[in-house]
Amino acid sequence: MLSPKYIPYILKQVSRHPARSILTMLGVAVAMFLFVSVQALQRGVAEATEVTGKEVTLVVYRENRFCPATSRMPDSYARRIAGIPGVESVVPMKIVVNNCGASLDTVTFRGVPRENIASITGGATILSGSIEEWKRRGDAALVGETLAARRGVKVGQTLSAAGIDVYVAGIVRSENAQDQNVAYVDLAFLQGTAKRGGDGIVTQFNVRVKDPARLPEIASAIDEEFRTDSEPTDTRPESAFVARAAHDLVQLVGFSKYIGWGALAGVLALAGNAIALSVRDRIKEHAVLRTLGFRGGLIARLIIAESAALCLAGGAIGSLAAFAVLRFGNFSMSVEGTSMNVNAEPVLIAIGLAITAGAGILAALLPALSASRRQISESFRAV
Amino acid sequence: MTPTLIECRGLARTYRRGPELITPLDQLDLDVDRGDFLALMGPSGSGKTTLLNLIAGIDRPTGGTLTIGGVEISGLSNGALADWRSAEIGYIFQLYNLVPVLTAYENVELPLLLHKLSRRERHERVATALALVGVADRSSHYPRQLSGGQEQRVAIARAIVTDPAIIVADEPTGDLDRAAAAAVMELLVRLNREMSKTILMVTHDPGCAAHANRTLHLEKGRLVESGLAAAH
Repeated sequence: MLSPKYIPYILKQVSRHPARSILTMLGVAVAMFLFVSVQALQRGVAEATEVTGKEVTLVVYRENRFCPATSRMPDSYARRIAGIPGVESVVPMKIVVNNCGASLDTVTFRGVPRENIASITGGATILSGSIEEWKRRGDAALVGETLAARRGVKVGQTLSAAGIDVYVAGIVRSENAQDQNVAYVDLAFLQGTAKRGGDGIVTQFNVRVKDPARLPEIASAIDEEFRTDSEPTDTRPESAFVARAAHDLVQLVGFSKYIGWGALAGVLALAGNAIALSVRDRIKEHAVLRTLGFRGGLIARLIIAESAALCLAGGAIGSLAAFAVLRFGNFSMSVEGTSMNVNAEPVLIAIGLAITAGAGILAALLPALSASRRQISESFRAV
Repeated sequence: MTPTLIECRGLARTYRRGPELITPLDQLDLDVDRGDFLALMGPSGSGKTTLLNLIAGIDRPTGGTLTIGGVEISGLSNGALADWRSAEIGYIFQLYNLVPVLTAYENVELPLLLHKLSRRERHERVATALALVGVADRSSHYPRQLSGGQEQRVAIARAIVTDPAIIVADEPTGDLDRAAAAAVMELLVRLNREMSKTILMVTHDPGCAAHANRTLHLEKGRLVESGLAAAH
């Protein structure tokens, strides 16, 4: 630890070479922007795809189909699914997206039966508008908060995408990334409006089960029910369904962790270089401090604190910038009608700061050790 | 209390430079009393600065014993030696060696950061030291804003601010003009006479050495002549 009375000395040393310090801070800031962004991507993916023991929703999709445009099943399947023991409720959904590929601005329409809208959005909070308003109009939509913010639409306005115009009847907030990024509309309206498919055809069924422990068993029972039908099914827990649908994207995001580690290595290299140069420039000054009675360990801690301060400043800039961009950009990654939020949470700033401080300390260890061990008289002779 | 503050017995320092063994100090015996003002003279490479550094505890002897104030300092660990320096030694360099990013005040405050003093106590001590050396009005100036003489005065303030028993000065006037050098020497004489500081000073200038009350001549690491200077 270091007494606070040394802080002015440390800060003056950080500002000793302004150009060098600013460039180092900017480098660290860019690296931490990358790191925090990658972390936000990974948190979003993890949240959307990790199967938990509490999950109660199954998604029934057309077997061997991977896109909402090609998964087509008769909505009469709903009655048969509802008859399977353990099933609590079944909601047929038609899904229309403006972009089947991976995109940061995909608009997903989910058509659900009018009588199911309250249950499907049951866990969500209505931020503005109302379900009553949604029920009053045939072309109404309940829009997820993230999608509404990204598209800049408010209640009473029109949301247009994929050739479909809907009236925004409400904006909802949900902990489920899927609900945050979709517009719920009336199933009949969507079936009538969409170019492909028609009455009686849906994309998937969302099935709620009573006991989460029975999720795999019920999924198997559903698939068995339709195994010999013309449209066989593939049923998975919702998170596993998202993971499969967004498999390529998940892999890409998984790869991005190396970018995050690379960014950290960049921080180490930048800070290490800056501190090594700084220590080399101050061999004589450190010898003077030790002549005054500063112990080698204290010199080392001062150097480490200087490095940590430099990195923290850069880390704060980068982490805050990334947080602001991700938070206000309301990004979500969507593919095949599934969504994963880019989760910019305040904890990421704390993580970013802790990591930069750690990297600063690590980067300074060798120069600090070297400075603390150098003989005083040799240091005076060396310059 | 014994009048002898510094006792060197068979003091030696050797180091290796490539294949060559250098002996800047060889079998030196020396006693320095409390309150002495000692001038060390001799040609370059005679071992003056090496002796000064050994007594200041910034170098370690390779032979003999060095006892200061009853403490065998060559036996101290690095940490204990640092603490001892902080309490007992004030070092004045030829080229001042002030920290360029710190003001005169902050430079003088530096050694006090090692002591358990409140901010107010530190302030009082720094103000006193700066006033004593006559640069109180320059406390907020950075070293680059000071003349050489003023820089050396600030360095002297830094050396005395912890009230050490011993002040070592390595050619303290070597980089100064005549007037500034005279002022610095006058200051050192005052520290010796009025504050009873024991001073060891390396100098090439016989005029500066004349301010000391004893002069030692070194040659090839050995003491060749010792005498009392004219009293002032």
